[in-house]
Amino acid sequence: MRWLVPANRRHTNCYAEGMKNVLLPLLLLTGLTSCGRAPDLVVYCSLDQVHSEKILKMFEDRTGLEVMGAWDVERNKTVGLVNRLLAERNHPRADVYWNNEIAHTIRLKKAGLTQAYASPSAVGIPAGFKDPEHHWVGFAARARVFLQRTDKAIDLPPRIYDMAEPRYAAHGAMAAPLTGTTLTHFSALSLSDSAEHVLTWLDKAEASELKIGAGNADVMRRTCEGDVDWCLTDTDDAAAARRNGHPVEVVFPDQQDGGVGALLIPNTVCMIADAPHPDAAQQFIDFVLSAEVEAALAASDSEQIPLRPGVTAPDYVKLPERDFRVQAVDWAAVADELDARFPDFQKKFVK
Amino acid sequence: MLALVAFATAAFWPLAPLLQTLVSPTEWASILEPRLASLFGRTLWMSGTSGLLALSLGWPAAVLASRLRLPGLGWVLFVLPLPLLLPPLLIAQAWHGLTGIDGPWASVWSLGVAYAPLSALFAVRALRHQQASAHESALLIAGPRFAISEMFRISAPAAILGAVLAAVFASTDFAVPDYFASLGDKFSVYPAEVFNHWRSYQGDPATLEAGAAVAAPLVAVSALVLYLAFTLRDKAGALESNSSRLARSVAPGILAWPLAGILIGIMTLLFFLPLGRILFETGAAGPEATGTWTARSADAFQDAIARGRNDLGNSLSLGALSAGFALLVAPLLAHFWLQLTQGPSKAHKYAARLFGTLIALPLLAPSVGTGLGAILAFNQPGWERFYDSLFMPGLVLGGRYLPIAVFILAERMARVPNSRVESAALTGMPYLYRLLYVRLATCRGAWLLGAGLVAVFAIRELDLAVLLPAANASAAVRYYNALHFARDNFVAAFGLMIAFLLFLPVALHALLHKPDSK
Repeated sequence: MRWLVPANRRHTNCYAEGMKNVLLPLLLLTGLTSCGRAPDLVVYCSLDQVHSEKILKMFEDRTGLEVMGAWDVERNKTVGLVNRLLAERNHPRADVYWNNEIAHTIRLKKAGLTQAYASPSAVGIPAGFKDPEHHWVGFAARARVFLQRTDKAIDLPPRIYDMAEPRYAAHGAMAAPLTGTTLTHFSALSLSDSAEHVLTWLDKAEASELKIGAGNADVMRRTCEGDVDWCLTDTDDAAAARRNGHPVEVVFPDQQDGGVGALLIPNTVCMIADAPHPDAAQQFIDFVLSAEVEAALAASDSEQIPLRPGVTAPDYVKLPERDFRVQAVDWAAVADELDARFPDFQKKFVK
Repeated sequence: MLALVAFATAAFWPLAPLLQTLVSPTEWASILEPRLASLFGRTLWMSGTSGLLALSLGWPAAVLASRLRLPGLGWVLFVLPLPLLLPPLLIAQAWHGLTGIDGPWASVWSLGVAYAPLSALFAVRALRHQQASAHESALLIAGPRFAISEMFRISAPAAILGAVLAAVFASTDFAVPDYFASLGDKFSVYPAEVFNHWRSYQGDPATLEAGAAVAAPLVAVSALVLYLAFTLRDKAGALESNSSRLARSVAPGILAWPLAGILIGIMTLLFFLPLGRILFETGAAGPEATGTWTARSADAFQDAIARGRNDLGNSLSLGALSAGFALLVAPLLAHFWLQLTQGPSKAHKYAARLFGTLIALPLLAPSVGTGLGAILAFNQPGWERFYDSLFMPGLVLGGRYLPIAVFILAERMARVPNSRVESAALTGMPYLYRLLYVRLATCRGAWLLGAGLVAVFAIRELDLAVLLPAANASAAVRYYNALHFARDNFVAAFGLMIAFLLFLPVALHALLHKPDSK
């Protein structure tokens, strides 16, 4: 049918030209970039990419295995990868999930998405941070702390529950307990002190002048900018504030006599049920639970707190039971409590 | 038919579990709950106001930049799309840094400014093909003021369609409202409620549908607004451009300097202020930081290049694949839509509007739901190579943003004189040849622009990038992964790098561009 088109118009077949000149080279380029060899190990990781990819690279260099990492983002409340694991449950693609907290790992275990592996590297990690059935192990933790400015005299609440008192509330901030470590924290409080007590306190906090932010990094940023004098946040956010040159310091809450202590929320690692590369997954779990990796994460910018006694850490990283008292927690029960309390928290803060 | 099958596979298969809730009235009952009704109402007014703001900034900017000869401002048209390339959250942070704004109005402002170029781009496309005869008549009869008001009139449907899309994007964004809620007055928006339902996902159809059910009212209202925009467009009617003579730019005379001032003012809001602030943040630090701003800024860019270059390359490949899909499929869908629009009966008109709304559904659906749906659809035994490759996210993202390319291309195709098409038909030229040699041959610019926008939105997409395997190693994930952690220097530098990289094709296109209708 080409004869139908006048010769002087044939060059205007931009569709065909476009296919030839634009699309084919693009597809070729993309085909080349996406046809690398299949990875030897797939790790889903919700710890910040800037810290965790160095650990993955160390593992690759040691073993020669090719690791494909996938990361999550705070904007998605760090549940993107958990949702991906759940959606992939009929045909798992991941071998290992390295979570930067614990509650969702337990959720995955309850959903039957993890499998037991008793890593020899887990020896030395306190029993309270390990699953008795070996489905997950905790390591390198963050603590829930107050971050206060050091360039002025601050009246800092000594206990978490004091935050809503008028003398403290007007100058402080905390994140809404809808996500991440704040959700885990208030679920732990709900378990230890009753749901009614925590919900009543949250009403009081909401009615007070305490600023309720979207996340820990947000309230940290407000403290750095001087909008508030102190905030409840995590040690890794506090470390970032200090490293960015802001006049701030960390204070551990509930350290007075009889106080419950500060909550310590570990990273967790678990092996995915029916993982495509089980041997490599076990190798990786052994590696990531090693004292060397805990020391590397302690020395990183996020200043993760080693759980294993005797791990080398910089002086500025405060260690549990040496420098501060730790709140005792039954993590499996906290995960159940989190599921039960989340709708209450949502109704209170999403409106 | 092939195009419809390809589009359905890419865009509707992942949406299948979500779409069935749209037609299930029982799922809508939850919207009557007072808390959700309040969230829904707030989201509607916020996104509607953002859309109006996008219109009020983008539309005049389009007229002033594309059709008036203003002293020293020929470059404005060139940089007008740039704010669209910056992540809206980065623009929000820049505005807070500049002015200290917070609360719902800050969110409205930031999203309106971020998406204003969308309205401008659509209006520019419409203005470019104004007929010389109509324009000259307006000039002769009533002078430059009337001619300018005519420019606004003829570009109104396109500008409004762009603003509607801006409102749709604003209505699904919860990151920017979340950010401003954390800084000032506490408030929440409906997409946050939708998202919180996805986070309760248990890997089963019931929880997936529960999230979809919450999203359904927002999708339905967005679809309705889009349908109304199409109705408005049909009432205004598309102007054919009779190829040889297009309207020339107007010299506004004594109005030149005031109009130039207005355009500079708009560009300052859309472009200079946020970009200047983001550039400043590449080297900003607290009072106890060491080193100079210049050194910190240089370090931030070096860091961004070192850590982000592979991800940027991956994002470009992903964008190219999505654009490739749009290049292939958009002409066929646009032409089919156009044929419906130009049909003889009223039924054709209604069908065309419905079809336009239908193909926009992937764009309106929540991206987390789309991502979960794509995993369920494509993660099958034997499909591993495809599932793990860039082709899968390229297909899904291409399908999701394809409506933008279709809207732009259909608008341009409508301006090709029917006489040409009819002549070709009389010679016995088959359908596909008429599409290729008559319609598309004169629409190269619109075709490339549409595909380019698909690429830009695919590269910016975050929720799907987290969920779809090969898309995870992308610039969007690295950018947002660092965003929460007060690494403001890296975030600002990497955001600018992404924008610059996305802007390069636009710049090249602008430099090499020849008008379509020669």
